[in-house]
Amino acid sequence: MISFSQVTKRYPGGHEALSAVNLAIEKGELVFLTGHSGAGKSTLLKLIAAIERPTSGVVSVNGQNISRLSHLAVPYLRRNIGLVFQDHKLLFDRNVIENVVLPLDIAGFERRDALKRARAVIDKVGLLHREKANPISLSGGEQQRLCIARALVSRPALLLADEPTGNLDAGYAADIMAMFRDFHQVGTTLVIATHDDRAIAALGGRILHLDHGRIGEVAAS
Amino acid sequence: MIGWLRHQKHALTAALNRLRSQPVATLLTALAMGVAISLPSGLYLVLGNLSRLAGDLPAQPEISVFLDTDVSSAQKQALAARLRQSDIASARHVPKDAALAALSAEQGLADITAGLTQNPLPDAWVVRPQATSREELARVAAELSKLPGVAETHLDSQWADRLQAALAIGRTGVWLLVGLFAIALVAISGNAIRAQVLTRRDEIQVSRLIGATDRYIRRPFLYLGALQGLLGGLAAGGVLAVAGALLQAPVERLAGLYGSAFHLLPPTGFEIAAVLGLTTLFGWLGAWLSVARALQQLESTR
Repeated sequence: MISFSQVTKRYPGGHEALSAVNLAIEKGELVFLTGHSGAGKSTLLKLIAAIERPTSGVVSVNGQNISRLSHLAVPYLRRNIGLVFQDHKLLFDRNVIENVVLPLDIAGFERRDALKRARAVIDKVGLLHREKANPISLSGGEQQRLCIARALVSRPALLLADEPTGNLDAGYAADIMAMFRDFHQVGTTLVIATHDDRAIAALGGRILHLDHGRIGEVAAS
Repeated sequence: MIGWLRHQKHALTAALNRLRSQPVATLLTALAMGVAISLPSGLYLVLGNLSRLAGDLPAQPEISVFLDTDVSSAQKQALAARLRQSDIASARHVPKDAALAALSAEQGLADITAGLTQNPLPDAWVVRPQATSREELARVAAELSKLPGVAETHLDSQWADRLQAALAIGRTGVWLLVGLFAIALVAISGNAIRAQVLTRRDEIQVSRLIGATDRYIRRPFLYLGALQGLLGGLAAGGVLAVAGALLQAPVERLAGLYGSAFHLLPPTGFEIAAVLGLTTLFGWLGAWLSVARALQQLESTR
């Protein structure tokens, strides 16, 4: 589903975030990206979602070459990818359900269907009792779950999560990882950047370790 | 197709909500646009009414030919012979005594004419040429004025022609103003939309991350610009309606003093529709320029 071939990403200013990375991720896999901060985990996820373009090498997602993807095609690629951000990127000018419905509005869903689907996914992340609340009134863990709900509402085949439990205490973190396990079990491909070892141990799966922009595979636990 | 319609409806609702959520800013922008638009469209209305006034005057394709006071009888006969030619439809001789008698008969002038020791009026002809075009009238008048014994000729439609010429300049001026204020309108709209885009940076960036096309992002802003332009046009209509109501009474009084039933006419439905259409279009255009630029900047600062 995802393949990197000799991918290098150098930012303006000369910092090389990724150096000659090769990797392949199959459909339905659960992959953890580990490594110290600044090792290139976020960059790797951004390359998959075409938020960044590689300096050299080929990134391919679903058979599409990201480097050659036209500006106009990027939105359609992203509609098949759920993104979970460490800083949530929620919109505080609208309530919980309006945040979740946004991807469906963008994709042109009928309003009533969109609300129904949004409500179902909000229920799944346990926020149905807060559907009319403003996200700013939610706790950190609830905001993260809301972000996950928004990533999942359009039922993407691929979910990318950047430090989804980074700011959360252990209880919330375990909740969220349990949610990810459920998605993995229904066939979603997940790539999760984290340094939460407990989470990795709890879920199992393949581990890719990044060190100064170079990749090394750790035996699956 | 249905998805497209849904997106349009969605964007229109979003734009309406944004306008409603900032009533003061909306009102101020609409007023700024309204005042700007009311200048050229007000001038247009004034010119329209003035040319209607000029058009109401009876077209008098008549040339008055005034003779020298010391004209000889030979010259008089030569002129009379010329006036029998085929390009003259009719010619009426007005001897100076008859002219003075007619003047005395005018109310209020009898006292003045009675005080005259001698008749100051010249002999005259009132000539109606066969052709009535402006050029032909001018040609005949010029030809007659060159005949010996003719002091001057006077084209009675001359002042109406001058007014028409002045109005033509005025109309050109209106179009110049329309051009200038259209630019002003685009600038006002673009500025208002730019502020909107900047306050919605987060939304734009998040929308892009979850698969929004630029077209999707642009759409509500375009509706916003178009609606803002429409409101500006309506505001201009309000400004002109107030101005018209204030001017109606004094204009009718002035016209009454001239014994005319002239009164101001409001714009036609077509003219109103054209103004609203144009302001909407230019509001949209300003929004488009502004959003395209802002999106480009957001792209490069990501």
